[in-house]
Amino acid sequence: MKTIEEINQRIKDGDAVVVTAAEMTQIVKENGADKAAEDIDVVTTGTFGAMCSSGAFLNFGHTDPPIKMTKTYLNGVEAYSGLAAVDTYIGATQPSRIPEIGIDYGGAHVIEDLIRGKDIELVASSYGTDCYPLTDLKTHVNIDNLNEAIMLNPRNCYQNYAAAINTTDETIYTYMGTLLPNMGNVSFSSAGGLSPLLNDPYFQTIGMGTKIFLCGAEGYVIGEGTQHNTEVQRKNGVPVNGAGTLMLKGDMKQMDPDYVRGATMPKYGSTLYVGLGIPIPVLNSDIAQRTAISDEDIVCQIMDYGTPKRSKPIVMESNYKQLRSGSVEINGVEIETSPLSSYKKALEIALELKSWINNGDFLLSNPVKLLKSEGSSPRPLEIRRQTVLVNEIKSKPLITTSPNDDIGDVAKRMVLNSINHLPVVDADQKLLGIVTSWDIANAVAKGKTLLKDVMTKRVVIAREDEPVDVIARRIDKHEISGLPIISKNNRVMGMITAEDISRLMCARNLKDGV
Amino acid sequence: MKAWLKFSPKMVNQAVITDLIKNYDVSFNILRADINPKGGKMLIEISGSEAEKGIEYIEKAGIDLSPVNRVVKKDTDLCIDCGACVSLCPVKAISVEKDWTVDVNDKECVGCKLCTYSCPTKAIKVVE
Ligand code: SF4
Ligand code: SF4
Repeated sequence: MKTIEEINQRIKDGDAVVVTAAEMTQIVKENGADKAAEDIDVVTTGTFGAMCSSGAFLNFGHTDPPIKMTKTYLNGVEAYSGLAAVDTYIGATQPSRIPEIGIDYGGAHVIEDLIRGKDIELVASSYGTDCYPLTDLKTHVNIDNLNEAIMLNPRNCYQNYAAAINTTDETIYTYMGTLLPNMGNVSFSSAGGLSPLLNDPYFQTIGMGTKIFLCGAEGYVIGEGTQHNTEVQRKNGVPVNGAGTLMLKGDMKQMDPDYVRGATMPKYGSTLYVGLGIPIPVLNSDIAQRTAISDEDIVCQIMDYGTPKRSKPIVMESNYKQLRSGSVEINGVEIETSPLSSYKKALEIALELKSWINNGDFLLSNPVKLLKSEGSSPRPLEIRRQTVLVNEIKSKPLITTSPNDDIGDVAKRMVLNSINHLPVVDADQKLLGIVTSWDIANAVAKGKTLLKDVMTKRVVIAREDEPVDVIARRIDKHEISGLPIISKNNRVMGMITAEDISRLMCARNLKDGV
Repeated sequence: MKAWLKFSPKMVNQAVITDLIKNYDVSFNILRADINPKGGKMLIEISGSEAEKGIEYIEKAGIDLSPVNRVVKKDTDLCIDCGACVSLCPVKAISVEKDWTVDVNDKECVGCKLCTYSCPTKAIKVVE
């Protein structure tokens, strides 16, 4: 048994033994946890990953005449300013208000540029009051002339996080990066055995007031992060999926641009790569054993991001040794893996923190309150207006056609029923293609007579049990006007069109009085 | 060297490539191909002691050959070695080194630009 005070004394005397979490795995394997607890004082961890729930409070100082800012833009990115007169909060994922720039330059990039010491354009407006008469302002600020620039991240450092795969037949763009179709790749984000909260899985040492490495400066854990979850299933003592989180605070004026980066996940949004390292005091042999966790012992579930639902199906259970090897095997096929967080930087951070402690520049702090280790699980947000499913929508009676039908007949049928799309099916009502009035016009112009020569064979479909909102997004994405509805046993059940959906929305809005 | 070969419709059925490999000391790799009865194009890599002569032969046979002077470049200041690009590359031109640095191999690259598009820090560029 050791105390943090004793460890700090050893740090001051230059006698503390500090190792990284990667080194600790080896040490405990060789000497056992009891011996390691005697020998080792501090284990350093590290991670450098995309953490969307990040941002910063900035205080600009007062102008003359003064302004009570109600709208502020930093390099074109809106910051929240419903806080007194000259305070604002810039969030990492807010996109630029300039449409051509959008997610390519967001709040995360503003934060990086501030830390780099660059000048940032500040545009602000207000309604004007007796004491704050100024209503508009345009100037430049930088890290040196801001009164305060405090990074405050509501949810960082997920304890573990599911890896992503895509079982659909089109590429999707997610916060887990680009996911190739038909399980073309896997992306994962945790630093595994180096990751801070996986080395203290029951929060025996980390809590409010724990001093940490944050983006190259000293920072603090100020409590559990939002969505902190203690009720996730565990294997080998660590959660198998996203669980504990941290709320962090640090002074941007002290930060080093090497350990923070604004980035953009294509077609998703901007995000902040945060460099973070937590020292874990080895107070007893149980803590020593926990910090010895290896990549191999940390389970990571690979989930299907092709399902745009809250709970995604698990495709496979893997571990970080496998994931980091470059490929995993699923159903006999080698699938390449991509980390999304930088393991190189994570190691660098663990080593940097180790050298800070070795040099006596960084003492450990005693947390005033440890993080909750039980009884905390986030609730989902229920939408009061129930989502309507595809099979609940009233659609026109199903009319289909078969591939050998004559184009003239098909045209007549479309006009008679005033429809623009006709699914082409075989004798079992299985979908073969789709034909639209445009295809028919095209066929007539080119002198084609058989349907199978003009129908579109690659069809975007809707499943019966999908929410209509998901279909609306699909219609938008593929720039189409209607999709066949397909049942569980792959039969065509009807058509859903953009018109059906807008009719539904109108009715819904009328009812809600929007 | 790498080059695009453009076939006119009448060339498609001729055995130029077979003859090339039979008659010259070259090794020949097809990196990408898009050929149909109406002609098409093919991205090849050709090397070996008689590569120059082989190229002459291809051109004489009436195939339009345009060398590719494209380089894929990773800006090391921008790159954070996250590895997001690694699993996207269709030809395994991107790899993770022993020290966890992400490395892009220009020789293997076929210029699909998937990595360029997906890199969160826009660190990879393909320059023609
Ligand atoms: S995705 Fe970009 S930043 Fe990440 S390793 Fe590849 S080149 Fe570097
Ligand atoms: S451009 Fe395509 S082939 Fe070249 S390195 Fe990038 S992903 Fe690989």
